[in-house]
Amino acid sequence: MLDRTRTTLSDGTTIDDLINVQTREVQLRAISDPELYDIEMRKVFGKTWLLLGHESEIPNPGDFITRLMGSDPVLITRQKDGSIKVLLNVCPHRGMRVCTSDAGNAKVHTCIYHGWAFKNDGDFIGAPVAGEKMHGDILPKEKLGLTQARSHLYGGLIFATWNFDGPSFDEFLGEMKWYYDMLFQRTDRGLEVLGPPQRFTIKANWKTACEQSAADGFHTLTLHRWLGEFAKFGDGDLTTSMYGTEVGSLQGHALRCMPVANKFKQAAGFRDGNLTLEEKLAIVPPPGITKEMLPELIRNLTPEQLGLLVDSPPQVGGMFPNVLIAFIYVPQPDGEIIGLTSLHTYIPKGPDELEFCNYILAEKDAPEEHKQKALQFAVRMLGTSGMVEQDDSDTWPHITQTAKGAAGRNITMKYQAICNTPPRPDWPGPALVYEGFTKDDTQWNWWLAYRDLMNSAL
Amino acid sequence: MNAATPTDFSVADAPFRANRVPVGSPAYNQITEFLYEEAWLLDEIRLAEWVERLDDDLRYTCPVRQTRPLNQQAASIVRTVMHFDETYASIRGRVGRITDTRSAWAEDPPSRTRRLVTNILVEATDKPDEFEVKSYLLCSRSRFDETNLLMLSCVRHDLLRRHGASFKLARREIIIDQTVLGFPNLAIFL
Ligand code: FES
Ligand SMILES: [Fe+2]
Repeated sequence: MLDRTRTTLSDGTTIDDLINVQTREVQLRAISDPELYDIEMRKVFGKTWLLLGHESEIPNPGDFITRLMGSDPVLITRQKDGSIKVLLNVCPHRGMRVCTSDAGNAKVHTCIYHGWAFKNDGDFIGAPVAGEKMHGDILPKEKLGLTQARSHLYGGLIFATWNFDGPSFDEFLGEMKWYYDMLFQRTDRGLEVLGPPQRFTIKANWKTACEQSAADGFHTLTLHRWLGEFAKFGDGDLTTSMYGTEVGSLQGHALRCMPVANKFKQAAGFRDGNLTLEEKLAIVPPPGITKEMLPELIRNLTPEQLGLLVDSPPQVGGMFPNVLIAFIYVPQPDGEIIGLTSLHTYIPKGPDELEFCNYILAEKDAPEEHKQKALQFAVRMLGTSGMVEQDDSDTWPHITQTAKGAAGRNITMKYQAICNTPPRPDWPGPALVYEGFTKDDTQWNWWLAYRDLMNSAL
Repeated sequence: MNAATPTDFSVADAPFRANRVPVGSPAYNQITEFLYEEAWLLDEIRLAEWVERLDDDLRYTCPVRQTRPLNQQAASIVRTVMHFDETYASIRGRVGRITDTRSAWAEDPPSRTRRLVTNILVEATDKPDEFEVKSYLLCSRSRFDETNLLMLSCVRHDLLRRHGASFKLARREIIIDQTVLGFPNLAIFL
């Protein structure tokens, strides 16, 4: 349990004033208040586990990438022994960014300002003109290396945190791990990135994108209406894909499980209970899995996970605080089903700006042709030019601005669509389960998780 | 190596190439006019007319850029994950979404754009009806009441194919200058 404090803004407003637990409302002021932003950087981005990339981006010893971890630049390196280190990319001498490339391979990283050099595990090697001791005698060399974050690999995804005594990564995922494992731990060799991420800027506060990622189903009906109108998803009726099961936790994680039978005619018989697991898998494999990979799937998951993955796979959702997860089916005219796999991180760049960082992935063991198709469709549907996500990019800036008005800041964001349906008795998974038409519960849980961290002692 | 999609600019841009179509020559002028008209059609959101100028074997791509040291500049252009990875059919799908629905919100209301096309250089190819064309594009974009123009600069490597009195675009590779785009999306064409 977190130590609770009463986080109070300079005008006396508390976090609990902004987030009304009784009525499930959040004051718009919470969106882009600069004072809150500063606290978020320390209490949210300084404390939780953050997604920084995938190990397939740095396959060889010496490989590195640079990323943002909250507002801190980090250098992520592959070691000789195959392990990965996440290092603060800030020179301990006088604060220059040590590595200025986006990616590459180097045994030694040398700061271009005064020449301090570091091994790719962060250890300080020395400064120029060793005899003259630029680094003095006051601090031992061991104290002059790059600051190392606590890191963890999960399904090849690189996570790190500055919270050294906080929850383990598994504790952070909590009961939701059971579901995330169905996506990230389902095959022998796991996922790989198909290239470096797309990156672009939206003039909006990070939370506008992130609370949506905690599984806002309703917005699909209106903001993404073209999917029914033009792409003819659900034969033109998007409401069919709003029925399913949302799963989430008070840690703010969420996934929307969408029944395959609602989406594919060939899966209509899934409900009758006459088909075996193997038969169903062969008819519509889970997103991103090809028929050839089914034996791996069966090896890696429990029968309960497999059963859910086949009938009602998690397709969209998020991971607190700033990750969007998409494992989406894109049916082709010829009957083939392409699975898109994409992860976004929404990186805070000040109270009014976020960087959208879009990773496109595929199963390592998928055939090359499937990967290339998945990549092309991912580019066309999601990210920079993605026809789905293009439409998200105006709402977030508008909300960020409306939140600043003298009257607007007192408007509340409402999460009052509450699920009243009990979980199916045969629901096989843990965590909080919301059955039926999409509701607001998982998004509300996102705010509860946010509130918890914002009220925690530093 | 395909000269239209150079991986090493120091080779592709070697000066005084023998097959240069001189600035001001009739073919150069026709191509320049084609690009100016194209910019006009896109700025006026006459997308159906723009599509008519695309050839059906079109490849339309926009690599991701990365910051790399001077001696690794080829690696600064990433052709795996790209911002656009399109064919003629997929471009028609994108345009159809905008023209045939009432819900392509990303560009409805539309941006006010200005595509400034300059530095056009043309080269003849082995095929008499095909030209490799390099042009700079500065695209400004204004949305809603935002006073600061969003800007995107790039070089476009095109393959233009003569069709009767005009041309069609058969290939375009858009090399953007930003590693992190300042545009909130690429819901417009470059
Ligand atoms: S700041 Fe890096 S060596 Fe001085
Ligand atoms: Fe969306």
